[in-house]
Amino acid sequence: MTTAGNIGLLGVKGYRTCPARVRRCRALPRPIKILFAISFLAALPFVCFGQKLQAPIGSAPIGYVNDYAGVIDEASKTRMEGILASLKEKTGAQVAVVTVDTMAPYAAIEEFTIELATKWGVGKRGEDNGVLIALAIQERKTRIEVGYGLEGIIPDGLAGQILDQSMLPSLRAGEYGPGLLKGVEAVAGIIAKEKGVDLGPYNLGESRQYTRTSSPGLGMIIFIIILFVFIGGRRFLWPLLFLGGMTSGRISRGGFGSGGSGFGGSGFSGFGGGSFGGGGSSRGF
Amino acid sequence: MAKRNVLGIIAVVGIIVVLLFIIGGWYVGTRNRLVTLDEEVNAAWSEIDNQLLRRSDLIPNLVQTVKGFAKQELQVFTEIAEARSRLAGARTVGQKAQGYNQLETALSRLLVVVEQYPLLKSSENFLRLQDELAGTENRIAVARKRYNDSVRILNTKIRRFPSSSVANMMGFKPREYFEIQEKARETPKVDFGS
Repeated sequence: MTTAGNIGLLGVKGYRTCPARVRRCRALPRPIKILFAISFLAALPFVCFGQKLQAPIGSAPIGYVNDYAGVIDEASKTRMEGILASLKEKTGAQVAVVTVDTMAPYAAIEEFTIELATKWGVGKRGEDNGVLIALAIQERKTRIEVGYGLEGIIPDGLAGQILDQSMLPSLRAGEYGPGLLKGVEAVAGIIAKEKGVDLGPYNLGESRQYTRTSSPGLGMIIFIIILFVFIGGRRFLWPLLFLGGMTSGRISRGGFGSGGSGFGGSGFSGFGGGSFGGGGSSRGF
Repeated sequence: MAKRNVLGIIAVVGIIVVLLFIIGGWYVGTRNRLVTLDEEVNAAWSEIDNQLLRRSDLIPNLVQTVKGFAKQELQVFTEIAEARSRLAGARTVGQKAQGYNQLETALSRLLVVVEQYPLLKSSENFLRLQDELAGTENRIAVARKRYNDSVRILNTKIRRFPSSSVANMMGFKPREYFEIQEKARETPKVDFGS
């Protein structure tokens, strides 16, 4: 007998099977049901990538700063967002910050960051110019994950240095916002310096310690000047001082930002699909 | 009556031709897919190779730094040099995995030595090198996962019917997995000593 009123596949109200002699039967014909079942199963493998990432973390980034643990203060967050938006606009490099209560089910923060960074695709596809700064509160671990394209600018040793010198002191004191902000300033400053742009109103003082250009050394220059002066007498003094002034270890500010207009797009539109190879450095605090 | 026979024959021939096209299309498709998967495995392997080389190149630097503080620990240095040259001579996937494991063992012994020299342990140079070393380990771990994933996909396709028939015709053999002993990750906690 017919069982009217059944909800069939996909909520289509109809009969479970078409009863004999009923002309207009709303039940989905069998082949289509099978097709739906197959396509559902076929789609499953694509769902499995990054399956260990718990929602809402794995789904989509909120912005440059993703504070899932809720530990970053407003002032730091605003400043970080501003710096990173400016960095993306002027250099194309994309930096993301993420904090989580716990990195479980991952055992090591490296596993967590590589999966998250790849899933979000931080950085532009092809250029792979992305960085992910992560913080796991319970396990007290932090990591700077560097994309393929930026590994030359931020090698592992430098990433470790940034963690040690800029971030760890604040993180140890429980000041997560300021600590992450310093890390962001350092990373952004290094990238900006490398690309020769100036990040507008943001004073990235934190990055100075990493971007000091090395030179033969002021002492060496002075020594040579004195030598010339002694040998050649007074007439060599002025030209040599001029030369010394030019080559001494000055931090060159590089080029100027492009126009320096306001930070264009208001919304955050996701990352560009950059890929990562496992570069970067981690620390426990 | 004759007409019906001719029609019948044409229909049968038509169906056979269509079937041949379908099978031919499937064959070409599978063949191309196998080639793509094979190339992915090759690319993933060269990434591992690169990282192994990079790691190998770091070692002399590391050894020099340690020698600066602990010149007399000759045995460890010899072990490392041997393991390193053995890895350089490795050719197959299995040999490289073995070479990597041996180098890992030698390196862990070196780090045990370093523990006994606090000045060395906290020196700027050594910290940077340790970071670089940890970086290569991480990169190898990532490259290995990607390589093994791509090998798994290729091997599955090679062994399953019906693509196995195409694979056999093309002479594809299942590829080797890169099995190394991953030591438990230790995230360094730098102690600046207050």
